Amino acid sequence: MNEFLYGVLPYIALTIFVGGTIVRYTVSERNWTTKSSEFLSKGDLKWANPIFHLGLLMAFGGHVIGVLVPKYMTEAAGVNEHLYHMIALGGGIPAGILFLGGFLLLMKRRFAGSDLMKVNTSGTDRILYLVLFLTIITGCMGTLHIGGDFTGFNYRDTISPWFRSLLMLQPDISTMESLPFIFRCHMLMWMILAILFPFTRLVHCLSFPFEYLCRSHIIYRKK
Amino acid sequence: MKIKAQISMVLNLDKCIGCHTCSITCKNVWTNRPGAEYMYFNNVETKPGIGYPKRWEDQEKWKGGWELKNGQLSLRTGSKPERLLKLFYHPQQPEIHDYYEPWTYDYETLINSKRRNHQPVARPRSLITEKRMEIKWGPNWEDDLADGETARQDVNFDKMGHDITMEFHDLFMKYLPRLCNHCLNPACVAACPSGAIYKRDEDGVVVVSQDACRGWRHCVPSCPYKKVYYNWKTNKAEKCILCFPRLENGLPTVCSDTCVGRLRYMGVLLYDMDKVKAAASTENPQDIYASVLDILCDPNDPAVIEQAKKDGIATNWIKAAQNSPVYQIIKQWKVALPLHAEYRTLPMIWYIPPLSPITSRVEADVYLPDAAEMRIPVAYLAQLFAAGNDKVILNVLQRLLDMRLAMRCKETGDPLPERLEYDADTYDKMYRLLGIAKYKDRFNIPKGVTATSHEDMHDQQGLTGYTCPGGV
Repeated sequence: MNEFLYGVLPYIALTIFVGGTIVRYTVSERNWTTKSSEFLSKGDLKWANPIFHLGLLMAFGGHVIGVLVPKYMTEAAGVNEHLYHMIALGGGIPAGILFLGGFLLLMKRRFAGSDLMKVNTSGTDRILYLVLFLTIITGCMGTLHIGGDFTGFNYRDTISPWFRSLLMLQPDISTMESLPFIFRCHMLMWMILAILFPFTRLVHCLSFPFEYLCRSHIIYRKK
Repeated sequence: MKIKAQISMVLNLDKCIGCHTCSITCKNVWTNRPGAEYMYFNNVETKPGIGYPKRWEDQEKWKGGWELKNGQLSLRTGSKPERLLKLFYHPQQPEIHDYYEPWTYDYETLINSKRRNHQPVARPRSLITEKRMEIKWGPNWEDDLADGETARQDVNFDKMGHDITMEFHDLFMKYLPRLCNHCLNPACVAACPSGAIYKRDEDGVVVVSQDACRGWRHCVPSCPYKKVYYNWKTNKAEKCILCFPRLENGLPTVCSDTCVGRLRYMGVLLYDMDKVKAAASTENPQDIYASVLDILCDPNDPAVIEQAKKDGIATNWIKAAQNSPVYQIIKQWKVALPLHAEYRTLPMIWYIPPLSPITSRVEADVYLPDAAEMRIPVAYLAQLFAAGNDKVILNVLQRLLDMRLAMRCKETGDPLPERLEYDADTYDKMYRLLGIAKYKDRFNIPKGVTATSHEDMHDQQGLTGYTCPGGV
């Protein structure tokens, strides 16, 4: 079971994540969009959306540091375990509040707000929001050590090395034997999310228009 | 000097009867799809009025177009980094209710109703939610000054020096057909973070690539004319494409072709691309009109022709520019003006301001009035077409009156008054083009960049171009 969950499924998920995205971009760029609903319901987007995205960015940054940067590197930089934990919680808790809070506000807007929002919510969207919710809530609970036995558990000794081993194409699932329940859920959820990613509105994150900053104002193009 | 060609249009408001044929034919061809029901690429507004969408001219609210900041041209919606932050929430984005919620009627109830004492009624149903709805506003709510209250809220009144009473004895109105202006300095193009909106190199038509659009929707608020629309179903931006599939076949746009008043003229303008930015940056907004006239090149000037050829403009396009009805009207006779030039986008749809009935106080003793004696206040027209400069409007209206005077002299045999600006021949040409021109005189569009297409357009209605699976 663990072998499949942590040795096989991640590769299936990442393959669909990358491959599916490429296929969608090349085959069906026509429906690659943010799917913005500000046009349908504006007032209740004002705070919810920026909060959600800010929380998301903070959480993403935290994951990059926590998962991709090996422990010995932060220790070499003079950050001991206790200090690291303080920094992680100091960033993680606000990120979680913004991320989850923003998400809940957006869901309230979508499902209990204007009637018009229904036309912006497809079946795929509903599945996506459920998965997204479970991913965020398990992540928040894991950060706060709720749900499961966390004695002696440190994700930087277990999940992070495993994830890096995945990226090196030499999966080492030995560290994943005794994961607390909530983190098992979080692992499963991100993989499901990665599988869903290419087929949902989430793809818009890849289109953030950095190139706009250095583009000329007026564009002429030949037919 | 770098010469570019632009397909341009002139609307002779003197002849517009506000019949909405242009809007309807345009709608039937381009925006009769789900998600686009509320859009009118072409609409006709009664002025004064707040228009469609509501108060579109209020740039304090919408921040459309450009402004000069320390002499530098910049978008009113903010700097590039500021606008990247607005991707998450755009304070100036219009909502569906700023336009109107589109609806249909339950027509089936008229047919399927059982025999009853009372007539069955077809109640309105929202085309967005498909639920019953109450109609509170529509795309043409103020037609012919209906709902007199909103006429008083016309944004242009705020900027005029004196009050307009809108009392019955000096009431006035006019029609204003509006479409995308295919500007030389388009704010929507500059605001699009994805680079999806561009000016076609060949004919200057501004289009949104439905593939490249990501639905960041910055084009919508940044267009000061609110002529880029957000499709709530495909979640991409759409706008008037100046019927480019027709242009490429040498045909005018649908709105021009079907205009029953025959008030639209289309043709080629040549302009100097290198001077566009400077013209848009003209310090005094009232001078922008003159700056734009300045960058329109004389297609008969050998130097211009040579440069145009060098810049890859085809011979038939240069020829069309030489016989361009719009060039005559805009540059030679100077009787057409751009709408709200102060937005600094350099619009390429031009308007001949309307003459109007003579005000009652001078009615008794004149045959041809002065330009200032018309019912529509010059100051009002000046807000629309001359950035508030009354003199520009007076000059144009006087030319139109002079043309009538010259034609009258021709009939009566009286000598032409000395003060007239042009010679009798010019007035005659002007009269022919503005009064009785045939289809081929009103439209001179060179066949375009591709060979004539033979697709059956009617069969393909709603199937090509904008087909887009509802974004997942």
